[in-house]
Amino acid sequence: MKIVDIALKDLVRSTRSLFLIGMAFAAPLLLTGLIYLAFGSIASGNLSLPDITLGVVNADALPADAPLDASFGESIRSMFFDESVRSWITASDYPDEAAARAAVDAQEIGVAVIIPAAFTEDYLAGKKDTVITILQDPTLSIGPTVVRDMVTSLLDGIAGGGIAFNVLNERLAANGQMLDPASIPSFFERYAAWYTDFQRAMFHSPEKAALVVTSPAAESEMSDPVRSMMGMMMSGQLIFFSFFTGAYAMMSILQESEEGTLARLFTTPTDRTTILAGKFLAVLFTVIIQGVVLLVAGHYLFGINWGEPGSLTLSLLGQMFASVGLAVLLVSFVQNSKQGGLVFGGALTMLGMISGLFTANIEIKAFDLMGNFTPQGWVLKAWKLSLAGSPANELVAPFLVLATMGVVMFAIGAVMFRRRFA
Amino acid sequence: MRIIDLTLKDLSQIFRDKRSLLFLVAMPIIFTLFMGFAYKSGKDEDAVQDNRIPLGWVNNDPGGVVSQELFEMLSNSDSIRVVELAAAAANDSVRKGEVAGVLIAPAGYSEQAEAGDDPQLTLVTDTNSAQGQSIYQLLRTSVTKVMSAMEIARLSAGMTGKPADASELDAAFASASRAWAEADSASLVKVELAVEESFLGDWYGDNPYNQASPGILVQFAIMGLVSSGQILVQERKTRTLQRMMSTSMRSWEIIAGHTLAMFGVVFLQIALLVVFGQLALGVDYLRSPLGALLVSVALSLWVAAMGMLIGAMVKDDSQVILFALMAMFIFSALGGTWFPLEVSSGAFALIGKAMPSAWAMNGYQNILIRGLGLESAWLPTGMLLVYALGFFVLAVWRFRKMDM
Repeated sequence: MKIVDIALKDLVRSTRSLFLIGMAFAAPLLLTGLIYLAFGSIASGNLSLPDITLGVVNADALPADAPLDASFGESIRSMFFDESVRSWITASDYPDEAAARAAVDAQEIGVAVIIPAAFTEDYLAGKKDTVITILQDPTLSIGPTVVRDMVTSLLDGIAGGGIAFNVLNERLAANGQMLDPASIPSFFERYAAWYTDFQRAMFHSPEKAALVVTSPAAESEMSDPVRSMMGMMMSGQLIFFSFFTGAYAMMSILQESEEGTLARLFTTPTDRTTILAGKFLAVLFTVIIQGVVLLVAGHYLFGINWGEPGSLTLSLLGQMFASVGLAVLLVSFVQNSKQGGLVFGGALTMLGMISGLFTANIEIKAFDLMGNFTPQGWVLKAWKLSLAGSPANELVAPFLVLATMGVVMFAIGAVMFRRRFA
Repeated sequence: MRIIDLTLKDLSQIFRDKRSLLFLVAMPIIFTLFMGFAYKSGKDEDAVQDNRIPLGWVNNDPGGVVSQELFEMLSNSDSIRVVELAAAAANDSVRKGEVAGVLIAPAGYSEQAEAGDDPQLTLVTDTNSAQGQSIYQLLRTSVTKVMSAMEIARLSAGMTGKPADASELDAAFASASRAWAEADSASLVKVELAVEESFLGDWYGDNPYNQASPGILVQFAIMGLVSSGQILVQERKTRTLQRMMSTSMRSWEIIAGHTLAMFGVVFLQIALLVVFGQLALGVDYLRSPLGALLVSVALSLWVAAMGMLIGAMVKDDSQVILFALMAMFIFSALGGTWFPLEVSSGAFALIGKAMPSAWAMNGYQNILIRGLGLESAWLPTGMLLVYALGFFVLAVWRFRKMDM
C-alpha cells in the first residue's frame, strides 16, 4: 500500500509540473511537426527534389556540316532552363569555367555543368575523350546526382538515336536493301518522339511510366508515403521523449533528497526498497500514459497507423522497460538535480542521436550500427517493425532484448541507490 | 573591471563542479570517436563486402525476350545484385530488408512490348529509404535502354518492310541491345569536387571525422545553453542576484560578466574538441587556424548570449532545461548538424540556412571540406556575431524586466 501511496504522490507532482508536461507531450508533437515541415515535399506524397542552383558553361558549338538543328551543348543547356524544371532548378549562364568555379566556391551555386568546346563535333566523330564536367560543392550530394542523371539521360537519348541509325543500316544490309536518305529524318523523328514520350511518362506521369513503384506494405493505408514517413519521424520523437520523461520523473528522488523530504521518509518505518519501488511505479505510469497519449495523438494528428495491436503493445512495453531502467541507472549516477539536468540533456540527446531517433526516416548505416548498442536503438527497431505491419511474433526478439536491458539497468541503479542512501 | 570579477567568479564556480565539467568535455570526445568509428567501420565493411544493392526479380513472363534481356542487363550490373524470387515472397523480402526492392515483370510483358503497347514493370520498394531511391534510379536507366532497344527494333523492322516478322524483330532487338550494352554515356560525364587543388586527397570522403567532428562540436556548443541559462537562475535562487542588483553594477554589466564566463566555458570546450580533432582524428582545423578560431569565438559568443536570454526568461532550473533543449533541437535540426540541409525543402531549408548553427557549420565546412582559407570564415563569423549581439541585447532587455 505504501508503494502505491508514494507512486500516487509522485504522479500528482508530475501532473503539476509544467516542465514535465511540456517535455512529455508538447515537445514531441512540436518537433514532429517541425521535422514534418523539413521534409514537407516528401511528406506531401510528392517525392520531389530539393531546390538546385546550377550554373551552365556552354562552350560547345554546332559544327558546320552537322545534320543537327542545335549542338548537344545547347540541348543540355536548354534542358536546365526549360519551363518544366524552373520550379526546382535555378539555372544561370557563366561565361567560362573560372567564373563557374568561383560561383561554386562562393556557394552562389551548388553545381556547375561545364560543356567543352567541340563536344558535339568530337561526339559525332566518335571521340570519347571530350567530356562534360560536373563541378559540385563537396558538401552536396542530391542536387549534383540529379544533374548528372539528367545529363546522362540526355546523352542516352542521343546515343539511342545513333544506335537506332546503326541498327537500321545493319538490318537493311542484312535484308539486301539500301537506306533511302529521304526516310532518315522521319525515322529519327519517330524515335525522338517515342523517347520524349517515354521519358516524360517516366519522370512526370508515374501512372503511365514503364516502371511503376509500389510500397511493400500489405495494407493500403500503410502504402501512403505521408503516413509511413510521419510514423517513422514520430516514433523517433516518441522514444526520445519517453526516455526523457522517465529520467526526469525519476529525478524526483533527487529533488526530495535536496528538499529534505526523503530524509524524513527514511525516518518512517518504510523500507528503502519500498520507496524505490513506489518511485519506479510512478515513473512507469507516467511513461505509459505519455506513450498512449502520443500514440493516439499521432494517429489522429498525422494519420499514423502504428501497426497491429500485438506488435504495438510489445513495442510500447519494450520502450517502457528500457526507459524506466535507464532512468533509474542515470539518476543513480548524478548527485543533484542541477547536475541531472545537464547529464540527462546531454546523455539522452546523444544516445538518441546516435541511435538515429532524430533521423528515423533517413537510412544512415552508422546509426543503424550504433543503435545495436543502445536501448533507444532497439526500441526504434521495434517501432520500425510495428510500423511496417510486422506480426507480433517478429517483435518478440527486440522486446526480450529491451526487457533484459531494462532489468539489468534497473538492477545496477537500485544497487547504487541502496549504497548511497544506506 | 567588475565585469571581469563577475566572470572570474562564475568560472571558479563552474570549474569546481568536476562532474559537470567532465561531462562537458569528455562526452563530446567520446561521441566524436564513436561516430567517426561507426562511419569508418561502415566504409571498411563496404570495402570487403559485395556492396551492390540487392534487387529481387519476379518473372511472370518466362521465355519473353524483353524480360530476359532486362534480367541479363541487371545481372551484369556493377550496382545491382539480382536475387530471383517467387511472387509470393516479394512483399516480405522488401519488408524484412533482405532486398532493397523487387522488380516484377507481368505475364505477357515481352509480347506487349513487341506489339508497341506500353507494358509496365512493377517495382516494390520503400521510396522513403535511400536504397529504395537508389534502386529506382538505377532501374529507370536499364528499363529505358531495354524499351529503347525494342522500339528501335520495331522501327527498323518497319523500315525493312517486315513489321510483323518475329525473326526480324528479334534480330534487330538483339542488335540494339548489344549496342546499348556497349554504349556508356556515363563515361562522357566527369564529376569533380570544388575543393582547393592543394586540398585534394584530404577532403571529406577520405576522413569520416571531417563530418562527425564539426557536427558534434556545434551541437555540444549549443548544449552549453543549459549551463549558461542556469547561472542566472542559480543566482536568483541563492539571492546573490538580488544583492548584486543593489550595487552600482548595471544590468548590461551583469549580463556581460555572465556571458563572458559562459563564453569562456563554451570556447574551452570547442578548443578542446578542435585540438582533439586535429591531433587524434586528423581533422585539419589548423589548415586555417585563424579561420577556425574566428568561427569558434563567434559560435561561443552566440551560445553564451542565447543562454543568458534563456536564463533571463525562465523561473527555475527545469524551465532552463526545457527551453535550452528546445532551442538546441531547433537550432541543431534547422542548422544542419543532424542531417545536411540539402535534404530538406521549402521554408525549412530557407530558414535553416539563416540559422546561426548553420553559419557555424558552414564556417567549419569551408575549412574542412571545401578546403578554403581564412577569407571563407569572415561571413559565417560576421553572421554569428550579429546573432550574438542580437541575443545579448534581448537578454539585457529581458533581464531589466525580470521579476526578482
